[in-house]
Amino acid sequence: MRILLLSLAFLTLSFSAVIDDYLKDLSTQAKQENPNFNGFDTKRGEVLFTSEHIGKKGKAISCVSCHGNDFTKSHQNFFTGKIIEPLSPKANPSRLSEVKTIEKWLRRNFNDVYNREGTAQEKGDVLTYILSKDQ
Amino acid sequence: MKFLLFIPFLLTLCFADNDYYQGSKPTKKGVAPVNNALYLKECGSCHFAYQAGLLPANAWNKMMNNLENHFDTDATLAQEDWVSISNYLNANSAEKNMDYKRSSRIVNSLRGRAIPDSISQTPYMIEKHNEIRPSLITQKEVKGIFNCMACHTTADKGIYSSRDIVIPNFGRWKD
Repeated sequence: MRILLLSLAFLTLSFSAVIDDYLKDLSTQAKQENPNFNGFDTKRGEVLFTSEHIGKKGKAISCVSCHGNDFTKSHQNFFTGKIIEPLSPKANPSRLSEVKTIEKWLRRNFNDVYNREGTAQEKGDVLTYILSKDQ
Repeated sequence: MKFLLFIPFLLTLCFADNDYYQGSKPTKKGVAPVNNALYLKECGSCHFAYQAGLLPANAWNKMMNNLENHFDTDATLAQEDWVSISNYLNANSAEKNMDYKRSSRIVNSLRGRAIPDSISQTPYMIEKHNEIRPSLITQKEVKGIFNCMACHTTADKGIYSSRDIVIPNFGRWKD
């Protein structure tokens, strides 16, 4: 029983470690980009996530257009209708579990919604916002 | 009596169900199903994972070289994934699958034409969909011609037969 609990605790730790380490890297980068950087902010992340912009396709969209507001539920790609699995790592354990995948989607999705890549601070803010919903 | 000689010829015309029939007749139905996990994961996360045999290699390469602007979205990949997916598409493209009916028809429809930007722009696909009312294609249950599975219920198995077509708010398609 104790081994089970320990291994569960270890699994939880190792899963969250990926995103924690990634946020630390982003934080270092954010400091380099802006000496006044003072940590990631859930509120700024929420604004980034929910505000609409004329995206790459020439239509006003936000992150919500494809991911929805309830991160524990799957949603649909606004343009193709393809199902997108939940953003919440609690509801969808594979979410935010691999840096390569996190970076791929941040790059693509910032470009699709904002027509540019996100700064380190913006990426960290958005991730912090997504994680805050699980607490 | 002479006209009897034309009968087999006329019959052939009636039963040749496509205008692009050239060379040896394909022996397999549909198109070879996708059999690459990386392709399914990477390409299938945003849209239907179209079979590699639905476009010739030159069209896949044109598309893969423009992923930063993939139908006006950013579909860029990590370099190693880009290489593996490009290799998969090249090895399994339509002109290498001429024994499959759909691949062979797509390739034949493209003879002498420019390299298409998408599967739906190939002459064969345009012709096959031209009887469908545009509103049935743009309706929210379908969204667009790119959404094979919305009507072709067995598209993920590489089967696009007319008996497997069910169009939302219309029903079964009868040729």
